Amino acid sequence: MGKVAANMKIMPHSPEIDLDELQERLEASLPEGAQINGFERDDVAFGLVALLPTVIVADDAGGTEVVEDAFAEVEGVESVAVEDVGRI
Amino acid sequence: MSDKLHQNLAIIGHVDHGKSTLVGRLLYETGSVPEHVIEQHKEEAEEKGKGGFEFAYVMDNLAEERERGVTIDIAHQEFDTDEYNFTIVDCPGHRDFVKNMITGASQADNAVLVVAADDGVAPQTREHVFLARTLGINELIIGVNKMDLVDYEEGKYEEVKDEVTDLLNQVRFDTENASFIPISAFEGDNIAEASDNTGWYSGDTLLEALNDLPEVEPPTDAPLRLPIQDVYTISGIGTVPVGRIETGTMEPGNNVSFQPSDVGGEVKTVEMHHEEVPSAGPGDNVGFNVRGIGKDDIRRGDVCGPADDPPSVAETFQAQLVVMQHPSVITSGYTPVFHAHTAQVACTIESIDQKLDPSTGEVAEENPDFIQSGDAAIVTVRPQKPLSLEPSGEIPELGSFAVRDMGQTIAAGKVLEVNER
Repeated sequence: MGKVAANMKIMPHSPEIDLDELQERLEASLPEGAQINGFERDDVAFGLVALLPTVIVADDAGGTEVVEDAFAEVEGVESVAVEDVGRI
Repeated sequence: MSDKLHQNLAIIGHVDHGKSTLVGRLLYETGSVPEHVIEQHKEEAEEKGKGGFEFAYVMDNLAEERERGVTIDIAHQEFDTDEYNFTIVDCPGHRDFVKNMITGASQADNAVLVVAADDGVAPQTREHVFLARTLGINELIIGVNKMDLVDYEEGKYEEVKDEVTDLLNQVRFDTENASFIPISAFEGDNIAEASDNTGWYSGDTLLEALNDLPEVEPPTDAPLRLPIQDVYTISGIGTVPVGRIETGTMEPGNNVSFQPSDVGGEVKTVEMHHEEVPSAGPGDNVGFNVRGIGKDDIRRGDVCGPADDPPSVAETFQAQLVVMQHPSVITSGYTPVFHAHTAQVACTIESIDQKLDPSTGEVAEENPDFIQSGDAAIVTVRPQKPLSLEPSGEIPELGSFAVRDMGQTIAAGKVLEVNER
């Protein structure tokens, strides 16, 4: 079984959230078996900036749900979305 | 970035039927292997005194190379034909990724279905074909792969072709829009050049077939549909909904309606990448503000559309779905969670109207008592909370859903008809 890359999009609670700290909290919350390859940032609108982590999970691990749930619990996170998935 | 017309191409099929090898082969034959992979190969080849750039090397290093990268495009690879610039999406095999494919950002326009000649139609072949149908894939190119393993036998090719044709009929995929090509991704047969090994085949090579695909029209003609991802209060601005435009365009001055919250107003400003824009279209991630809308008036899962052509809200809806996995049977009254665009709503399957025959696609049974894994059926669904959806025949971007229960994706489907509230 191969690995799957998921491009995720994390929206913070507000434009005031410190994104560096949020990034660290997300990294710390990552469930076992998943791996963050890197973060990008996307200027959305009106000062809101989305964090875009690329997360690698095993194809046979059964989806991104565990990672989504873990990220959703992190302080400062408004929403978690999976933009794209693809095998690598 | 090329100035050619763009297409998103999904590579689908059962695990081990050769999807990754085909992706590697397409990149290799079109000269799209990343420069640094070629450079690295040159260095290693010089050290070992070997020449030439070999396909096997690409396959060994591509995945490893991509995993090292940190770019957002890690899940995507590109190649060009004369007509098009293709972005490849190599679809995960596991069915729990189906939800991501349905709610994700870049939906595939067309697909290559990979079926191994020595194995034929396998469980994920079936799931992926149904998914392609649900996601509104227009044209399907079927690569009957691993022809080298069956000694390029025409009989074997025809056998698999018949099997896949049955499957397409079953999910009501128009077989006129499907073309079959005997290939070997590993050996390179019928990918870029017609193979001498399949003298009995006179059709297109895979790259010819890809180049001949019809142009893709962005869905700008459809009415505006913008599922709301989040709602913010920004100081000095007011309420700002954020989301990705699925169809149509949004401009300041537009009168819009949010459904099912059933409120509306005039769009004041639209921002994208922190800049005010005069107009935004399909695929754009925007934040905007609307005169007179408070933060608590609208919520995630609402869909924004024109006030004079507002998003539909389903009292009930009829849908075609395929059960991908369920430990027992599904009967009327079953209430799992439906995931559609940004909405997640518990919905009751009120009635199972028809079960479809797996071999013909015709109705096998009216009002069956139950359906189970592998079944395709027409069902009537009642959302437990208001839910905005559109018939997939009218606005496919808002007409598909994944069904989840017990932490698993158990079914996927498309909306046939919406009975409005």
